[in-house]
Amino acid sequence: MTGLGDDGSSAAEPLADPHGDPFLRTRFAVPARPVTYLRRERLTGHLDQGLRTPLTMVNGAAGAGKTLLVADWAERLDDGLPVAWFTTETAGDGPGMFWAYLLRALHAVGVPLPDGIGFPADANRVSPALQARLAAGLSGRERPVVLVLDEFDRVTAPEIAEQLEFVLHHAGPGLRLVLVTRTEPLLPLHRYRAAGELTEIRGAELAFTPDEAAELMELHGLRLPPAAVGALVERTRGWAAGLRLCALAAGESQDPEGYLKEFEADRSAIADFLLAEVLKRQDAATQDLLLRVSVLDRFCPGLTNALTGRDDAEAVLARLSRDDAFVEHLGHGLYRLHPLFAEILRAHLRVRLPGLEPELHRRAAAWLRRSGRLAEALGHGAAAGDWEFTAGALVDDLAIGQFFTGPHSDALAGLFSRMGREGTGAAPELVRAADRLARRETDAGLTHLRRARRELAEYAEYDGPADAAAARLSCALLEALAARLAGAPERAEDAARAAGELREAVPGELLERHPELTALLLDHLGSARLWAGRFEEARAALSTVADSAPEAATALPREDSLGRLALIDYLDGWLGRAERRAREALAETERFGLPRPSGSGVGRLVLAAVAVDRDELGQAQALLGTSAEAHPALRDPVLEAGRALTTARLHLARGDPGAALEAVEPEVPADAVSPWARGQTALVAAAAHLAEGRTETAAELLREVPDAPPACAVGAARVRLVTDGADAAVRLLDRARPEGRAGPAVTVRATLVRAQAADEAGDGARARRLVARALAEARRERLRRPFTEAGPWIRRYLGTAPPPAGRRTPGAGPSPRPDEPPPPVVEELSGREREVLRRLALAMSTEEIAADLYVSVNTVKTHLKNVYRKLSVNRRNEAVRRARELGLL
Amino acid sequence: MRYEIRVDGHLSEPLIRVFPELDHVTMSGQTLLFGHVVDEAHLYGLLARCQSLGLRVLEMRQVPE
Repeated sequence: MTGLGDDGSSAAEPLADPHGDPFLRTRFAVPARPVTYLRRERLTGHLDQGLRTPLTMVNGAAGAGKTLLVADWAERLDDGLPVAWFTTETAGDGPGMFWAYLLRALHAVGVPLPDGIGFPADANRVSPALQARLAAGLSGRERPVVLVLDEFDRVTAPEIAEQLEFVLHHAGPGLRLVLVTRTEPLLPLHRYRAAGELTEIRGAELAFTPDEAAELMELHGLRLPPAAVGALVERTRGWAAGLRLCALAAGESQDPEGYLKEFEADRSAIADFLLAEVLKRQDAATQDLLLRVSVLDRFCPGLTNALTGRDDAEAVLARLSRDDAFVEHLGHGLYRLHPLFAEILRAHLRVRLPGLEPELHRRAAAWLRRSGRLAEALGHGAAAGDWEFTAGALVDDLAIGQFFTGPHSDALAGLFSRMGREGTGAAPELVRAADRLARRETDAGLTHLRRARRELAEYAEYDGPADAAAARLSCALLEALAARLAGAPERAEDAARAAGELREAVPGELLERHPELTALLLDHLGSARLWAGRFEEARAALSTVADSAPEAATALPREDSLGRLALIDYLDGWLGRAERRAREALAETERFGLPRPSGSGVGRLVLAAVAVDRDELGQAQALLGTSAEAHPALRDPVLEAGRALTTARLHLARGDPGAALEAVEPEVPADAVSPWARGQTALVAAAAHLAEGRTETAAELLREVPDAPPACAVGAARVRLVTDGADAAVRLLDRARPEGRAGPAVTVRATLVRAQAADEAGDGARARRLVARALAEARRERLRRPFTEAGPWIRRYLGTAPPPAGRRTPGAGPSPRPDEPPPPVVEELSGREREVLRRLALAMSTEEIAADLYVSVNTVKTHLKNVYRKLSVNRRNEAVRRARELGLL
Repeated sequence: MRYEIRVDGHLSEPLIRVFPELDHVTMSGQTLLFGHVVDEAHLYGLLARCQSLGLRVLEMRQVPE
């Protein structure tokens, strides 16, 4: 089946099918008409009128001739409008698949797609930005694109109808949508109808008139008297497929007219009767072939031979499609049965060859697997109920990673959910393990992994080890995942080492085809190392994933790796860097439309932690809320501990030590101890106890805090200031030397500890110098928390001059004491600056503010710059929010 | 819920077997399929099955148990 799908588009183009298979060109081809096709001008004329309305709907029963009508019309559109054709084939396709195919259909006819339109990586979800960009791109066109969606009745997801309606509405005259469907689509047709924006061709209009039927019969070589044609139309109600079958059946009988009389008198259901009639006129071998291929959506001669066990499919299929008897040629050597006949033939298959259906699926699966068409092979394997084969095909293809990432994941889970306890051997056990681990049922996953290992060990005794290399590699991947979820870094290292060796034994082509396997493995390893506190090694593994080429298949591990790199930056105190990387991770989520609100959720978690350090507590709360729904397979101890710590810090910042303590209890369960997680947890708890005056308990907790990483040492020094005095704190800092190794969020706190020590020692000048240094360093990163949590002593060193008596000072509360200097980081605003700020809050533009205050635009800009600096913000809306928080507005 | 579905024409044996969960009677050029319908999804599934076989549904109604 070479040349079937590969359309030569390079991998860099975002146009691969999110299911990973090459696109089947036939889904974008305008179907060919049989030689006996009768063109009916009244219908094509009506369709021409459809070019004046955004929406055209052609609906009617199966076999009413909808598709051929539109295909014929579309190919003859002589003013050269581009016509994109897309046959919606698989029932139950999710929005991701739908839009991916739709974009591909537009691309296939040379409609330029907007840059950065994004691409769905998940079969069931699509980013809303995609539709907005597509609509915007289409609306700018001079001449419309005609987009035909055939078999639209197969689209059952209501959100697809909604999304389509959005694009249609916003694309304006740039898009003419033609829906060909058996059922009414879920679009708000009444609204289009009322506005005169809908062209409808329905069943009654599609029905053949007696004149047309007579012409059709003549095309089939049958000349009938008007009365006979009239009776025929009455019996078939002008149904196109019925008329065609009649012509076929009658044409082959000795006495066509007599035959048609019989048909009129018969009382059977028409399709049923006619199909049986046409079928029985075929020779036995052809009948057998037709019954057998009814289990396939589409087929080529090779696959057909595999099902019949003969070698004449090519000639038979060519003849059948030429005679227009059941079989349609789709081009590229591919055929399909007319959907209506496929159903009826399947019914006949079950009666005539009972019990053969599973065997046919099994043969089709084996053939498709040999031809490299994995997704279809899996479908038929499952339909045959042959789970050893189906699981084996997945594992041997090295596709086990698709359980976790990429557009296949939901489909695979659904497919194998029918497996139950059937199927024994390594492959079914591996699939079960993957299924459980993907749902974070670690214990069940490990049980199946153990069984798989046992089976694999038995293979080794009988078969060559190379045979099972793919299964062993899959096993190593799942072990790395299990180790990561259990917080067992050593086991993850072992699994990664084993995987490294096994990669050599697996064909390189398989590894290339499944980049998600490598990406997942490194992501698991990196996160396990992160848990162990080996930040540098973790960074090495995670960076490899994060820097890999963006692909739908690896979207989830890439997003997760980026998020965890951000987490390492945050833990090292580099807020700005952490924020940038976390945003990259979120952009990745958006771009590929990952299923959960944030993939692994770690990106949002980091942003929440950064927001706490910046004293943007409302935002931190919101981010924490949305990060809660992480992919279960990535909800490892790192994520759990990170969430607990951030939640606790938020409670502390809000002055609720009790809730903070609750948030870090109980400890996140894990096999190995994470030094940083345990240290930070102890520090948060100590801070909470200090806040409630339990100095002893806090001091007790310090024993659990290691000196590394620097963030822990600095946290410990801050607690020691209270429990053991300034000297002990400074000694600790001198020993740990965090200044050279960590980012501002850590070093600013260290500097403040030293400043407080100087203050207590009565060295005001040194304290002032240190606070000034901390302020300078903090400003770049918009760090505020360290100053608010430092305590009241710091106020002495923050203001440059005492404010004029009686004037309200920002942030100092409703009744400022005159001896109290301005609060952290905020210099007082001048009167003019406040006026500008107030207008900013009213959403006035710079020009409007300038006009309102009778000053130049440049003057307003200067004021704004000062306001931003004093409030340590970078943008308008931040300035307004910050000013509100400080009670300035 | 019990339902009956009346379709146009007599059904052949293979087509009858597409509805193994329903009983049927044939009368005056029509076929009456009837029996227990599990839920709404089943109901719509039956309709879709009729449609995919090219059957004309004349009537569909719920009948007392």
